[in-house]
Amino acid sequence: MVFSPGYLFRETRNNLRWNITLVLATVVAVWVSLTLFGASLIIRQGVQQATQRWQGGIEFIVFMNADATPDQMASLETSLRDNPEVDGWDFFNKEAAFNEFVEAFSDQPELIDSVTKEDLPPSFRVRPAIGDADAIQSLAESFENYPGVRQITLPLGVIRTLQESTQQISVFVLILSVVVLVAALMLIANTIRTAIFARRQDIEVMKLVGASNWYIRLPFMTEGVVQGLLGGLLAVPMLFLMNRLLAGFVQEDFLQLLRSLVLESSSVWGISFLVMGIGAGMGALASLFAAGRFLDV
Amino acid sequence: MIELDGVTKIYKGEVLALYNISFAVAKGDFVFLVGPSGSGKSTMLKLLHRQEKADHGKIWVAGREIGSLPKSKVPRLRRIVGCIFQDYKLLPNKTVLENVAFALEVTGSHRSEVAEKVHPLLELVGLSRKTHSYPNELSGGEQQRVSIARAFVNRPPILLADEPTGNLDPETSLGIMRILSQINKRGTTIVMATHDRGLVDNARRRVLRLDKGKMVQDQAQGQYH
Repeated sequence: MVFSPGYLFRETRNNLRWNITLVLATVVAVWVSLTLFGASLIIRQGVQQATQRWQGGIEFIVFMNADATPDQMASLETSLRDNPEVDGWDFFNKEAAFNEFVEAFSDQPELIDSVTKEDLPPSFRVRPAIGDADAIQSLAESFENYPGVRQITLPLGVIRTLQESTQQISVFVLILSVVVLVAALMLIANTIRTAIFARRQDIEVMKLVGASNWYIRLPFMTEGVVQGLLGGLLAVPMLFLMNRLLAGFVQEDFLQLLRSLVLESSSVWGISFLVMGIGAGMGALASLFAAGRFLDV
Repeated sequence: MIELDGVTKIYKGEVLALYNISFAVAKGDFVFLVGPSGSGKSTMLKLLHRQEKADHGKIWVAGREIGSLPKSKVPRLRRIVGCIFQDYKLLPNKTVLENVAFALEVTGSHRSEVAEKVHPLLELVGLSRKTHSYPNELSGGEQQRVSIARAFVNRPPILLADEPTGNLDPETSLGIMRILSQINKRGTTIVMATHDRGLVDNARRRVLRLDKGKMVQDQAQGQYH
């Protein structure tokens, strides 16, 4: 079966033009639903990225004072060795701490410039031999009062809280997006149905002169795909805008740690392509359904 | 070319449209299908075009049993069985040329091929001066000639005509009949359902008569009655 691309283009364009108000409403619905869907993905991926950056396995960090004496450090090391709940540890001297800092914030040179090696405290990265979160917490806290210890950082709790709250937000947004997505699907199907109805005379003649089923169906399919794709395309700038707004929000000093929630633009592109793909897929699915249901070919 | 064996069609399980019909039409024949309204003529043509399916019996068209033809093969059948109608079924927003070309395009022909095939055909039906007119600018006879051109543009070996002169005056009908005869002379088998007594009597062709869904007469050089 030979298809002239011109035919497909003409038919699709005419269908879309004829039905412009309904088509616009449909595109907006797809747009909104895919923006929400993409947003939930951005939140999810941001949290994942942040978690990875902070966590690096379940361990806690015993920060020494920047001016801690070698004796103080040796004494802590002994206690770590003697504690059966400790599996092992890595000692990070000032140099190692600085290198890690540079690596972690390589995308924020102004932050790196503001810090010198001497500002950074040496630390012990402790790997607990136990798995229970509460037990790890009390183990970590037991090192709090050692001489020369400045602070114990247990990322577990923070991460857990952050994960839970963002999880809730992203699930809520996801559910909302699915609801609107379903509405958008029905709208596409209905738009196609209207287009089929408007062209029933042409369709009847096509059938009578022996047009193949796909020849009749395809323009309606492309119409659906175009609508879905258009909605997806419109969602892309929204996603970038959102990531940008998030970046602006966490720029505030007190939220410095949250910066790793903000995605690289390559990640946003990834989500964007997914969103466009879903838009096109939705269009194809809805119009396939409508064509199967109302075209009777 | 066409053969029916014990064909019965019942609409919605209760209205008997055709009952136990058997006949055969040889290649190149011209056959009239006559009978009062509701006798089953249109149903018969719809069966041959697979717009309807028989409930019993078998139908062969161009060597194929079409009752068991899968839906996806129906378009192929319709390309070898052209069809014209009492109400022409032209697309009002397309010109004469486009209406005829449409039949070629939807079956996947290239544009160059389309122009090559459409013009000689419009000449055959006498419409070469009206190629860019729209159907509402044409007389009934002219519209029917467009529809004949459209049905014949794929050069189908079989042409079905469902009361093609039903809306036309006697003289115009004669013109249509002349065109159909010409097409028949080129080897196309034609089955034409009609109420037009004059046409049937003049043509001296084979006549199949239906009455209440039954075949009541099959006459070689028949009369309307």
